[in-house]
Amino acid sequence: MPAANVAAQVRTSLASLKASDLQDAQIMEVLKLAHQLTDTMKLFFSSLDQSICQEFNYIADYISRTRDEIAALRPNDIKTERIPSAGQELEAVVGDTERATETIMSEAEAVLCDDEDDYDAYRASVEARMMTIIEACSFQDLAGQRVSKVVTSLRHVENRVSRFAEVMGVRDADHVVEETEEEKRARELLLNGPAIGGPETSQDDIDAMFSDAEPASDLDQGSIDSLFD
Amino acid sequence: MAVEMTMPILVVDDYKTMIRIIRNLLKQIGFENVDEAADGQEAYAKMQENKYGLVISDWNMEPMTGYELLQKVRADESMKATPFIMVTAESKTENVVAAKRAGVNNYIVKPFNAGTLKSKMAAVLGDF
Repeated sequence: MPAANVAAQVRTSLASLKASDLQDAQIMEVLKLAHQLTDTMKLFFSSLDQSICQEFNYIADYISRTRDEIAALRPNDIKTERIPSAGQELEAVVGDTERATETIMSEAEAVLCDDEDDYDAYRASVEARMMTIIEACSFQDLAGQRVSKVVTSLRHVENRVSRFAEVMGVRDADHVVEETEEEKRARELLLNGPAIGGPETSQDDIDAMFSDAEPASDLDQGSIDSLFD
Repeated sequence: MAVEMTMPILVVDDYKTMIRIIRNLLKQIGFENVDEAADGQEAYAKMQENKYGLVISDWNMEPMTGYELLQKVRADESMKATPFIMVTAESKTENVVAAKRAGVNNYIVKPFNAGTLKSKMAAVLGDF
């Protein structure tokens, strides 16, 4: 029952009691006090109702806004279109690269094995195989376009997620995410993969670590000493 | 001691193309007795069956990495003396240090050329 109704009911009961012609002065005093208390409680409950109502309105707005933002994120589009499409493009790049490599290596191996005794025939064969190699290199153009499409898709997803996080005021959780088996294996077996922009340690620095020459600059003295243990 | 050009060499890599590249480079250098394995596990099984004059191994493979293969080889009395060259894209100093501690004879970072492969093989096996 709403607070206003409760207060009204109490007031009615008090009025009825007052009208019953009670003669006891103390009871009348108590009734007066009860009347004042009812008025105070009415004010209190009505403010309470307003506050709860505002809270519920805020929560409803927040839920509505969250739903709109999730819809703007278009998760189904990302899941069913963007990510699968990017995966297909990358698979196509791997396939194109493999086929081109196969062609280039086969032709190069054939040139190395060609019979050099007949100069004219050898020259014609080498020229034909070199043209095939040049043609096979066209995979780079297709691969470049496919990778660009993937990069565009990733940027699209990144923009949507960033906007969502910004609008909803989402912050990264402080707790440390549990390491997966794959990540554990990579950490323990030092599986870092190729570095971006070339080797992190150059072949010259590696050579120095296997000789008496100057060691790599990013090694501390302890590491250097342990190499000579 | 002169290097035996007919000695068997085991090339370990999970990418067929890389094995093919190394086979071609070895052929150009003069080594044609080349065997191959797709990961450390297959390589170790082959090493138990055959004696190789050199192992050229990638690092990042599944289920057994080249690093694990190196550790297993060095711990196995029957094959611990086999020369071992790591050929890998893993170029962090910690990788090179770990491989050296595990007993690798030399370390080549990808991409590499025939000259680099030949010079590292010569450093390990002697001039040829």
